[in-house]
Amino acid sequence: MNKETSLREVEKKTYMSYHQDGLIDIFVGVYVLLFGVGISLITLTDFSTWFIIPAIFPAIMIPLWISAKKRITMPRIGYVKLGSRGANKLLAIFIGLMVAGLGIFMVVTFASRSQGWALTLRNLIVSNSMIIIGISAAVISSLFAYTMGLKRLYAYGLLTLVLVLPGHFIAIPFGYSLLIIGLVIFVNGLVLLMRFIRRPPLPQGDEANVEKSL
Amino acid sequence: MTQLYVVESADFLFLQHQLQMTPGNLSSHLSKLEEAGYVEIVKEFIERKPHTALKLTKKGRTAFNEYRKNIKRVLETPAD
Repeated sequence: MNKETSLREVEKKTYMSYHQDGLIDIFVGVYVLLFGVGISLITLTDFSTWFIIPAIFPAIMIPLWISAKKRITMPRIGYVKLGSRGANKLLAIFIGLMVAGLGIFMVVTFASRSQGWALTLRNLIVSNSMIIIGISAAVISSLFAYTMGLKRLYAYGLLTLVLVLPGHFIAIPFGYSLLIIGLVIFVNGLVLLMRFIRRPPLPQGDEANVEKSL
Repeated sequence: MTQLYVVESADFLFLQHQLQMTPGNLSSHLSKLEEAGYVEIVKEFIERKPHTALKLTKKGRTAFNEYRKNIKRVLETPAD
């Protein structure tokens, strides 16, 4: 086995251990659900300020996620601080996704009032939005899946593609597609979390004894 | 060392869990790596509880990189 491959495999195994608790699925699922609720409500009520819900969610979500990791994950798999390289890569992808999603959402919501290039861009995005979103989600999920070794992300990408892409050809409300995708990711996260929680926390005695010897 | 190379720091439980090693065996490996100056033991507090984290030192990272280069060179050298 190649040395580089081996190092990558160890890195992937670390990510897989770190994310086996399903917490990331739960939070991403809720985030997608909130987008679905927001878009559905805009469609139904024309109340565009609903975009605030998914926009403020990361501010609430990140401290909750850190706390859940400390209370649920670390007692079961041990404590690990991902390397600055890995952490930066994850953070960059995460922020990129949030910004891209919010940016597209705001352009689509507000650019209809503008003139010139903003309107043209809005029209281009709106007329091909299902293709853009479906393919982007599939590509981004696959990139995450490949980088982190989390194979379930391939399934999420495929699910998004299957549920969103047909919306370009037939009238399927985008908000409803997001609700289904968010719900599937959220439920899968919950199942993974339930399985993970069944594992008892690792005994602290070994750690204490060995730490004394180190 | 490979496991510590890909993370910033990890505790004994995480390493034991990842490497599937017995506490005694892992402890013995880590003691040798610490003696060689490759692994640093960081005592810290997490939520007001004492906690011991292990991380690769600069010397350890350099040594591991050297090892990787050497192994790569050996593997790339055509056999007679």
